[in-house]
Amino acid sequence: MAEPARKALLELKDLSMSFGGLKVIDGLDLTVNGREVVSVIGPNGAGKTTLFNLITGIYRPDAGEILLEGGSLVGLPPYKITQRGVARTFQTLRLFLNMSVIENVMASQYGRTKVDIVRAMLRTPGMRREEREIRRFAEEKLSFFGQRLMGYRWNQPAYSLSYANRRRLEIARAMATDPKILLLDEPAAGMNPVETHEITELIGQLRDEGGFTILLIEHDMHVVEGISDRVIALDHGVKISEGSFEQVATDPRVVEAYLGTKATVTK
Amino acid sequence: MSDASDTPGVPEPPPEPEAPEAEPGSRIGIDSWVAEADQRRARGRGPLGLAAWGWESAPDSTKLLAFVAIAASLPFWLLKSEGDLFNFGLFTLIFVGLGLGLQVVVGLAGLLDLGYVAFYGIGAYAYALLSSGYYGHHWPAEATLPIAMGAAVIPAAILGFAARRLLGDYLAIVTLFFAQAFLVFTNVTNPTLFGKGITGGANGIPNLDPLTFFGYKLTSTKQLYFFTLGTVVVVAAAIYLANQSRIGRAWRASREDPLAAEVMSIPVNRLKILAFIFGSAVAGLLGAIYAAVSTAAVSTNFNIGVLIILYAIVILGGFGSIAGVFVGAIVINVSFEFLEPQTDYPSFKRWLFYGLIIFVIARLKPWYRAAVILAGTVGFGFAVHAVVAAMAGHAWTTGKPISGAGWLTHWVVIPRLNHGNFDNFLYIGLVLAVMLVASLKGWWRTIALAPTLYLTALVWENVLVTSPGVTALILFGVMLIVLMAIRPQGLLGTSRVEIV
Amino acid sequence: MHHLLLFNIIDQIRALGWGGAFTLLRNGIVLGSLYSLIALGYTMVYGILKLLNFAHGDVFMIGTFMGYGVLIAFGGALAPTIPFIPLILLMFAVSMAGSGVVGVGIERFAYRPLRNAPRIAPLISALGVAFFLENSAQLLTNSAHELYNGYALGGKNGNFGPLLNPVFTIDQVPVTVIMVIVVLTAIALMAALVLIVYRTKLGKAMRATSFDREAASMMGIDTDRVISMTFFIGSVLAGAAGVMYGLYIGDAYFFIGFLFGLKAFTAAVVGGIGSLPGAMLGGVLIGVVEAFATGYAGGQWSEIVVFGILILFLLVRPTGLLGSPAIQKV
Repeated sequence: MAEPARKALLELKDLSMSFGGLKVIDGLDLTVNGREVVSVIGPNGAGKTTLFNLITGIYRPDAGEILLEGGSLVGLPPYKITQRGVARTFQTLRLFLNMSVIENVMASQYGRTKVDIVRAMLRTPGMRREEREIRRFAEEKLSFFGQRLMGYRWNQPAYSLSYANRRRLEIARAMATDPKILLLDEPAAGMNPVETHEITELIGQLRDEGGFTILLIEHDMHVVEGISDRVIALDHGVKISEGSFEQVATDPRVVEAYLGTKATVTK
Repeated sequence: MSDASDTPGVPEPPPEPEAPEAEPGSRIGIDSWVAEADQRRARGRGPLGLAAWGWESAPDSTKLLAFVAIAASLPFWLLKSEGDLFNFGLFTLIFVGLGLGLQVVVGLAGLLDLGYVAFYGIGAYAYALLSSGYYGHHWPAEATLPIAMGAAVIPAAILGFAARRLLGDYLAIVTLFFAQAFLVFTNVTNPTLFGKGITGGANGIPNLDPLTFFGYKLTSTKQLYFFTLGTVVVVAAAIYLANQSRIGRAWRASREDPLAAEVMSIPVNRLKILAFIFGSAVAGLLGAIYAAVSTAAVSTNFNIGVLIILYAIVILGGFGSIAGVFVGAIVINVSFEFLEPQTDYPSFKRWLFYGLIIFVIARLKPWYRAAVILAGTVGFGFAVHAVVAAMAGHAWTTGKPISGAGWLTHWVVIPRLNHGNFDNFLYIGLVLAVMLVASLKGWWRTIALAPTLYLTALVWENVLVTSPGVTALILFGVMLIVLMAIRPQGLLGTSRVEIV
Repeated sequence: MHHLLLFNIIDQIRALGWGGAFTLLRNGIVLGSLYSLIALGYTMVYGILKLLNFAHGDVFMIGTFMGYGVLIAFGGALAPTIPFIPLILLMFAVSMAGSGVVGVGIERFAYRPLRNAPRIAPLISALGVAFFLENSAQLLTNSAHELYNGYALGGKNGNFGPLLNPVFTIDQVPVTVIMVIVVLTAIALMAALVLIVYRTKLGKAMRATSFDREAASMMGIDTDRVISMTFFIGSVLAGAAGVMYGLYIGDAYFFIGFLFGLKAFTAAVVGGIGSLPGAMLGGVLIGVVEAFATGYAGGQWSEIVVFGILILFLLVRPTGLLGSPAIQKV
């Protein structure tokens, strides 16, 4: 599916990270090209979420490089990495629960807006203009989800949303940082089959209509199969397989990692 | 500029019956029904309910105007006397101002700032040093008020920077220690500068100039009241506007989930330090005004007791609620002033007290529960009275209440003589009982409520007369504990945090 | 007399000489042992609940009053009705047990209902508890300094007893019995604590709970009980410190909990919060710093110097001497 003339947007080179002697990510190389959906799969504890935490600056790698459009992200604080164009969602939802739905999406535009506190208190014309733009942009991102997050829901506190809608809101909030690449951490977790199907289509739309590049962690193989341009399998922090979904899914090393079969011993 | 500019900003007309394969349409109906439940409940019956509903639905600017109108009229009817205006009016306003600054730090940015009183004190001392005969500087207020704010901001910036890496946890201890160090510095250390102790030691700095703006002196209580009212309104509006901007959203996001906020492009620590500095500036300003109003800067006015009162105000009003600060300050300051000399208007206060208790009982939901409590309380009282009279002798039961009300002497145990710490132990006992009741559930609570109410009456008739200051402070301490357990968001706070 | 503080300090150092320095070091170590005991309570509760238990200093204060109460119940130090060794042991026993119960009660009523509340709620509740305890003590004691008169214990007719006898002398600086008792008791209690934490089943449960409360409870650990026990043990240590404070420094007073607690907390931070050896080391360090500040610059500077140390550590080494940087769980 992937068009050839794409250049690398996100590059990880020989990335390593360990917690107290335990290697969680071990010499990982990974490239994500523009307008591509790449899925990362692997059993629990394979280091998938750690990978996201490394890219977004929550952890600092012990060794290796993280490049976004050629510029290094290592050592930057998370908010600067997001301002450079990396946004993410969390596997365990981390919405601003006591803020309204639209405020969640407005809050995450902090990095792309400028008005300081003095101008905010004085309500200068520039401030009002920017505030209108923030609201418009937020509404635009929310409208991506059709009826799900529309209308009366905007002014509801986020805690009143259903589980599936919270996942949608997390995606909208990440989109509102105006990123180049979206990291989605198990967007379909805890969803029913209908919702899962919907989210799969949505991720496709994000790439095709929204123009986002997407790096995805997902356990649900239907989702992975449905939208991935490329799949990468991790186990114990090491990349054990890469390629199309079919290639990876049938790779004996992947099967072994998931099922723990000792029949075919590979190195 | 946006990546999704081809997506319409306006929702396209909805596909007629909800998205076909999605969750059934009724789900959304249920969601909205649940979402509106609070509003429906708020729209209570009767004139009170209507007023509450009107207040809820009024725009915020109208609310502020209503407050200003009422507050501005007070000196002409309710608070006509100079003393009342000073104690009830002016001090409530100062507490409102202080509460607003604290609300930014605690309620919006979610920082536990326990050194807030020190910044308040710094503002007061800055005014005292620059606008008094102490060092012979008689600078006008238009210069000293900004300097007082600046003087509070500088140490705040240093503290915030020092604690930046672990703001949430360490700021509390650093600022608490800072408050204590400030007290020790002003009260005891008092280093010599230009031949004088810089803070005047335990006596403080007396005889400050009145607030003077461009040669115009504010001397009467009424003038000070209106000036403070204006200041408080400006501060409230500034905080409101800041809260409605990207800065306010970022503050609240950092309070809700600092990590998620950081990942959503918000420089959390920088914003928290900004909130901390902002709050300190407000405290410094109010400190200077307070110094001018009380014509002295004395370090004991900036102790931890004041801090607790401020926290009680913010928490009673509700985390993050600006209107709540006004309510909290009015409730706390008025009740504080009210309790102070109980010998003023004793019978009026007594009726109010028992009225309040009966009102609280009557509000309990199933009527028979209220009846049980009322009967239980009355019966318990007579029983205790009889037992005490029989066991301990009449000296324990034949004391007189403060004023008349002879009917009480058969119900409330009032010792005739001063029995050591009897009343103080009663009071502590009551406080513990209240905490116990707060932690009980269902009928256990009902059963425990009767003796507790009786104990309340006992305490009212025996204690508050003798040592009002400390008892009120204990009450605030307990209020913090009980409120946190029962309704952590405070009276007007809306945040509802779910238990995952 | 110079005007500048710095010159005063230099003069003072010259005037006191080596003997003076040694006296200050001795005072600092004894005082620091008390800080260490209290710091352990802070650090244990922080380790397990991530809660700054502001009320802990006031538990210590209540401990001093409990010890005093036992002393008075048996006639007071000037005319005790029982021999002084069992009396002191009884004071320790009652104060430690009583403080432990107070600590558990605080946890039960003020913190347990807030297990799942936002983090600021228990902190405010802690503030309320501290304030309640402090002002209640003020009300019940009428702000009195209750004197232990510990010097007279074991003496005849109010004369000096054995507590102030020197055990040994270094460079003419005597180290008295009570000082040795304070330091040895502190060491013994810390050793016992380390044994509990690293050698018993309860200790294992405590470490598991502090590592991940949710996971620990899923593994069948009764975390509520573990937390109660943590408060109990921490408060017992504070109760012991309370009695020793009364015997060594001399009085029980409602406000000491706040000040002492603040410094002990600083000790916990300086040592590295969450670390047991860190709390011990930090306690002694703060005690010594305070003693030297008092001796050279004057008592009015001691709190400000300790505060300066706190700020310095937060700027230079926020994890403390022995603390390790925490890894955020996402």
